[in-house]
Amino acid sequence: MDPIFFHRNPDPATAEGPRQGLRVALQPNLAVAGWPMEAGSRALAGYAAPEDATIVRRLRASGAHLSGSTHMSEFGLGLAGNGTGAALRAGEADVELVLDLMGESRLAAAGAAVCGFKPSYGLVSRFGLVGLIPSMECCGIMSESLGGIRAVLQVVAGQDGLDFSLPEEPVPDFAPETVDPARITVGVVGEAQHDLGVTQEEAFRSAIDGMAGAGFAVRQVSLPEWPLFALVHRIVGSVEASSAAGRYDSVRYGRRASGAKNWNEMYLLSRGAAFGTLLKSYLIQGAYFQFERYGAFEDACRIRARLVGEMRRLMAEVDVLALPAVVSGPRGGEAADDASDAPDGVYAQFALTLFANVTGQPALCLPSTMASHTGLQLVGPRLSDGRLLALAEYLQKTGRGGN
Amino acid sequence: MLFSERVPCGRLTPDDVGRQVLLAGWVDAFRDHGGLLFIHLRDRSGIVQVVVSPEVAPSEVCERAAALRSEYCVAVRGQVKQRLAGTENPRLDTGTTEVMVTELTVLAESDALPFAVSEKAMVAGAPSAEAEQVAEDLRLQYRYLDIRRPSMLDNLALRHRIFQTVRQFLDERGFLEIETPVLTMSTPEGARDYLVPSRVHPQNFYALPQSPQLFKQLLMIGGVERYFQLARCFRDEDLRPNRQPEFTQLDLEASFIDEEFLYELVEELTVKMFAVGEIELARPFPRMTYAEAMDTTGSDRPDLRFGLRFVDVTDVFAHTDYAIFRQILQRGGCIKGLNLKGQSPRLSKNVLQNEYAKEIAPSFGAKGMTWMRAENGGLESNIVQFFSAEELEELRRRFDAADGDVLIMVADPSYEVVTSALGQLRLHLAHRLGLIPAGSFCPVWITEFPLFDPTDEGGVTSSHHPFTAPDRTDFDPTNIEELLALRSRAYDLVVNGEELGGGSIRINNRDVQRKIFAALGLSDEDVRERFGFFLRAFDFGAPPHGGLALGMDRTVAMILQTSSIREVIAFPKNRSAACPLTGAPSAVKREQLAELELLNLGGQDLLPGTAEKEDWIDRLSWVSRIGIGAEERSVMEETVRRAEALAALAAEKAGGEKPMYSVVPVANRMRPGIEARRSELAQSGRLLKNAPSTKGDYFRVAGILE
Repeated sequence: MDPIFFHRNPDPATAEGPRQGLRVALQPNLAVAGWPMEAGSRALAGYAAPEDATIVRRLRASGAHLSGSTHMSEFGLGLAGNGTGAALRAGEADVELVLDLMGESRLAAAGAAVCGFKPSYGLVSRFGLVGLIPSMECCGIMSESLGGIRAVLQVVAGQDGLDFSLPEEPVPDFAPETVDPARITVGVVGEAQHDLGVTQEEAFRSAIDGMAGAGFAVRQVSLPEWPLFALVHRIVGSVEASSAAGRYDSVRYGRRASGAKNWNEMYLLSRGAAFGTLLKSYLIQGAYFQFERYGAFEDACRIRARLVGEMRRLMAEVDVLALPAVVSGPRGGEAADDASDAPDGVYAQFALTLFANVTGQPALCLPSTMASHTGLQLVGPRLSDGRLLALAEYLQKTGRGGN
Repeated sequence: MLFSERVPCGRLTPDDVGRQVLLAGWVDAFRDHGGLLFIHLRDRSGIVQVVVSPEVAPSEVCERAAALRSEYCVAVRGQVKQRLAGTENPRLDTGTTEVMVTELTVLAESDALPFAVSEKAMVAGAPSAEAEQVAEDLRLQYRYLDIRRPSMLDNLALRHRIFQTVRQFLDERGFLEIETPVLTMSTPEGARDYLVPSRVHPQNFYALPQSPQLFKQLLMIGGVERYFQLARCFRDEDLRPNRQPEFTQLDLEASFIDEEFLYELVEELTVKMFAVGEIELARPFPRMTYAEAMDTTGSDRPDLRFGLRFVDVTDVFAHTDYAIFRQILQRGGCIKGLNLKGQSPRLSKNVLQNEYAKEIAPSFGAKGMTWMRAENGGLESNIVQFFSAEELEELRRRFDAADGDVLIMVADPSYEVVTSALGQLRLHLAHRLGLIPAGSFCPVWITEFPLFDPTDEGGVTSSHHPFTAPDRTDFDPTNIEELLALRSRAYDLVVNGEELGGGSIRINNRDVQRKIFAALGLSDEDVRERFGFFLRAFDFGAPPHGGLALGMDRTVAMILQTSSIREVIAFPKNRSAACPLTGAPSAVKREQLAELELLNLGGQDLLPGTAEKEDWIDRLSWVSRIGIGAEERSVMEETVRRAEALAALAAEKAGGEKPMYSVVPVANRMRPGIEARRSELAQSGRLLKNAPSTKGDYFRVAGILE
């Protein structure tokens, strides 16, 4: 098995364009015509994509080179079995695309000591993406340099006639802009620091000191309902996943289990064999809410409305939020191997990142030079992606951001 | 109020005009004509119009009447009057009379109805309620209201009439109605048993009878000679339309009789039952051997309301040059066909080739289907050029084909494939071409079934049950070929392609019975264990006997020509074997299970609440169609346990906000410049490239029913 790529692009040719020379690795959940697209699941075993995803089409048109697709966890849920970051580390790609369901692109970046960015929800087309949680997921971007992230975002973001879920909003400007630190307030969320390990806490404090040192106004802010983000994500996420995974029926694609006496058995057997235990327990959890406690799903959506409202109020007071990304553990983002088969273990890892998926805000994770496998998360209001990148670039330029 | 004076609503006639009457029943419908109130009052006997007029009724009666609503239960007193000319209602049997109310008592009020009960419009042309438009589960949930509908009540009344006919007839013929136990012993029969745990004998179970088969034979050994019972039977079978977990069968058995006695008896009984539904059946019923039925219709329950009998043309092609037929015949196969008389204009070449030959016949298991149209004194088809003139001429002769006829043929190395596929084609074509005359009933006895079927392991198994008498007793129980050639003394009564019942003459000789068990490969010990108590009875002088069981729900449904058997059962289960009215089947309290000592059944110590969890896992696995392996169960249980806690927390924390399903506004989005068209991927067939199984332009899937 190729340790870096699930599928290596044999074709070096690229189109002429502004991103010529940029090498992009992606996950096998983005359709590239003719490439295997198994999304880490037996449910899509042997699937060859019939056409390009919108992201892929735009990247190709810009002249970027697709290096290949990396190994990934089943449908991108969590980081177990994920080879994310390996292509960057090995110098085989300049940018990696990683599906961000609850913070995967950011935690993987923290683990690989590179930058990881989850754009605003609704900014990047999901046409041709094998997703799992439609109202929260977004294709994340990882790169050693913020410039790499910007270079890809500029190409792939924006309306897409093929993705009907994209809102009709003006696309923000991602061009570099000047930052005046004196006019920027950084909010530090107190509740997000409660369960940090010692290393993580020190690294985070040092990063905040660095920002203050760079001239930003730093303010403590409070989100009393912080623990409810996980509750909402777990309920809404699992319900949407259970619904989205309904399409893996062994009729149109995938592998069909043999020996089914009838249609229902065909589903039961094929789907039973297709999904791994972690995903299965997530889908069963979603089925529980859907079929046995539908009220819980609606309750979670009510809480989601309240959390989004609270976040909006908070973002009126500060320009950007700063939070740690990794809860604890020496190997942080890579600790996925330890995750259990039940969703609990996965959710515990992503406790500090999943809120941005609930609210749809852009979230950037910068690597820390002080301690490996920690990272500083910067989060802005929806559609402030360009500004967030500019601010982080300023921090890196002054040598203080998260370092 | 003295209900003893009560007069049935539906029985009022013009002779009653002038009489003071007391009526009681339900408000079927009402119409208010500015103070003058017309009410359709309904009881079991029918409907009569009662009129509340301020000129006749005291004012408090008028006030009470104004508050009436559908299905209030009321009693009224008043005088019978001839309706004015021109105001008669021809849809009511009592349509020329009405009752002028002077007293009105509301016996009980009714809530708003979940569906309309009334079936009789008050004015001409007004729509009346049609039960078919109401969801069946809703009808079953409020079955007591559904039964108030006259058509449903009629079904039950006619069912009663048919049952009474059975009882009276069999009583006249000397049959005794004897009940057999419902709590009985699990016996190895076709379907799964419903089990009932015993409290007195912990961890032991009764089984509900799948049929009273063993008991009725014991009654014969007991010297009852003639027995019958309208018996409730239970089978825990997979869901199928027109099946019920519990059903009623007419079970009868007689001693010192032969097949002819039963044919005569059951034919006369069937004629009487169908007469209740004003259906005349001609006697004697035709008989067909199993072999003939398979040979000519491809089914052991042939629908004889139309022709389309098979013609065997295997020998016509004995020396054919047509390679496909030649190869099939070399492999010992056969070729059968049928003639669709004069159907050529309705079966185009396109329909025959692209629908029937390419799609429908293969879906019935045939590898292909050959069709020919009789034209200009010859035969036309896409393959006639492969046949000799003699073959084509002989075909026309065999099928008695005239111009305008269509011949279809199925050829296969397997006789079963040919008859099964052609039999299904026969039914399919008969339905499609409307060849089945409405309102006709064609009973037939099917006889001489094979006694044994071959098993995959090279042995034999009983095709009916092991107590069925063979046609001869001098067989060698070790000679499989001889065993498979044995015929049974069993018979099925089939009407319009539906098996209404069946039975057999039983074995009463110990030695013959022993030979049958030997043929089945059962050791003495096996036999004792499985049928011990029953066989012991045969050691005490068993008389020759035989009998039959008729599915009464199915029979009544056929006589009343209802859309399903649920229409002739007062409180049926729905299609998922549940009762929407009572909620059965339901969970039981743990205390009940504990009392029955069922908590630790199978030696598994279940923790409190685990049983419900397991149940959940099974249910969630089913609704999400995801199989769960035994090794995954504990993870799933933990997940569901956590999910319960999450649901409770969400309920506690949720406020009155409007639920937010997406962080961006959800809107209908028009994408200008995109036209509705068939996707290129579909057009080029690339869409099918990833499918695990396809057929032509379609995805191939498993059958919807077994």
